[in-house]
Amino acid sequence: MLSLIDAGFTEAPTLAPLSDHLEPGELTAIVGPNGAGKSTLLSLLSGYRAPGRGSVCLDSKPLSSWAAVELARRRAVVAQKLTLGFDWPVRELVALGSEASPEEVEEVLAMLDLEVLAGRGAQNLSGGEAQRVMIARALCQLRLGRTAGVSANSVLLLDEPTSALDIGQQQRLMRLLRQLAERQRLAIACVLHDLNLAARYAHRVWLLERGRRIAAGPPIEVLDGRILARVFKAKLVTSRQADGSPLVVLAP
Amino acid sequence: MSRAAALYQRRIATMPGRHRGALTEVRILLALTMVVLAALLVGAMSGSAGLSPNVLLGEWPTPLAWQVWWQLRLPRLLLAALVGAMLAGSGAAMQGLFRNPLADPTLLGLASGAGLAVALWIVLFDGAAGTFGLYGQFLAGFLGALCVCVLVFALGQRRHGQEALFTLLLAGLAINTLAGAMGGVMAFIASDEQLRQLSLWGMGSLSHALWSATLGALIGILPALWWLLRCAPGLDLLQLGELTAYGAGLDAPRLKRRVVVATALGVGLCVALAGIIGFLGLLVPHCLRLWLGPGHRLLLPASMLGGALLLIVADTLARTLASPAEIPVGLLTSLLGGPYFLWLLLKRRAQC
Repeated sequence: MLSLIDAGFTEAPTLAPLSDHLEPGELTAIVGPNGAGKSTLLSLLSGYRAPGRGSVCLDSKPLSSWAAVELARRRAVVAQKLTLGFDWPVRELVALGSEASPEEVEEVLAMLDLEVLAGRGAQNLSGGEAQRVMIARALCQLRLGRTAGVSANSVLLLDEPTSALDIGQQQRLMRLLRQLAERQRLAIACVLHDLNLAARYAHRVWLLERGRRIAAGPPIEVLDGRILARVFKAKLVTSRQADGSPLVVLAP
Repeated sequence: MSRAAALYQRRIATMPGRHRGALTEVRILLALTMVVLAALLVGAMSGSAGLSPNVLLGEWPTPLAWQVWWQLRLPRLLLAALVGAMLAGSGAAMQGLFRNPLADPTLLGLASGAGLAVALWIVLFDGAAGTFGLYGQFLAGFLGALCVCVLVFALGQRRHGQEALFTLLLAGLAINTLAGAMGGVMAFIASDEQLRQLSLWGMGSLSHALWSATLGALIGILPALWWLLRCAPGLDLLQLGELTAYGAGLDAPRLKRRVVVATALGVGLCVALAGIIGFLGLLVPHCLRLWLGPGHRLLLPASMLGGALLLIVADTLARTLASPAEIPVGLLTSLLGGPYFLWLLLKRRAQC
């Protein structure tokens, strides 16, 4: 279990201290306006930036005292963009840095509809294809292929994984992430800009504003029209779908 | 990282559906090694002190010819192989580190720093004189590269990620400019004899090679090559970007330290021993990447072999083309390499 214990950054970009944890089996969406500190929070959770105060622990052991390799087996990060200096074949890229077997690599490629792209160079992919390749690589790193053994409470951190995907891909990806969380006891934290995706697929939502987490809880509580309108400085209308989940649309 | 490296190497070796299996990679490296050995053999037999081909038939040369060959030709060939391997290998590693196919060992100012130190030694201390000259030159080059390395590192240390790399690049640019200007000052105040010494050395030549120099190169360059080879899995991971690479278990600052220090050691020695030999570090990895793909596990050793091959061939040509005179080998590599590289870039551009 990945937990934040009074953890934050005192240096810019700052992040107000925060105590919470990512529950195994749950998808947590991190939402908030631009510059609210979503990516900063993600770099705190990943351990890429050491907290200025407090600590971030995986299984009650601070991230800084984990061996890099052990940590990489339990926690993977998907960055916003794929930036490559050289042209790597997709299949090699997906297998990079993972201990996954060849079969698992193929399965993960299939899980993200990447079989057709597997032999192509990763440099000439479209934005959406590149995003799926990055996610596939992270899944391989955590050994989440179907034939792999059940992974031991891993953590997956994603920074805007849906930003370049079409609406169908968004739906398939979020569905897959939620399934992975529930079936493999994976704890997922996912920065999202699309509030409706958060409403539909997240178990919990963290709402950030100016480096401070101002609300956390089930989507139905956090994604409240009035709070969102204030935080995002937007004219919004929220309603309920048939199943009770919130729906956020722009007001005319 | 070494455990991660080992695990990763074992895993990736069994990867399916790659263009090549691990076996093919071993075959490619073996084939390259054979070509390098063949080039060594041809180099050993050509030129004024060359062995006659009859040696292969069991006919031994006269003691005098043998002595000349042993004391002049063999160390020179070995030095060419080592310097070529080091320049091309560190070029491949630098390109991986900067994630930029245009990086090379001269980029960080290491080569020009070493060059300036040697120029200082030759001019200010009249270092060309005496038997101590070579060792002094050797040491000066190494210290020059090391100073630049420490300076560049102090500049890059306190910054993170992409910013640190840009700082390193800009620092390299500044050092190159400064060293160029200081080198000009040295040339200005040098005596005629020193000037000739300077300009010959600056063009890059392997003609000083004696066993003393070659042994120094063996002691310094072989460990540097080994270090770089061990960085290959880390360099692969680094291509994912720093955040993702960190998430996949890479200690990026440590990798950078290792690559930069290994390069400083190796390239410093190369420059001190053979002058600045241009284009090798840029050209060899670039061409091999087009052929073998970007994976450093194959690219790094292949570049080292390719660099060794190219410099052996170039030095053999330098010795024989205008025999009994010698063309400085650095001049030859730049003259041949420059246009070829331009042609390569134009061709690539046409394809895009």
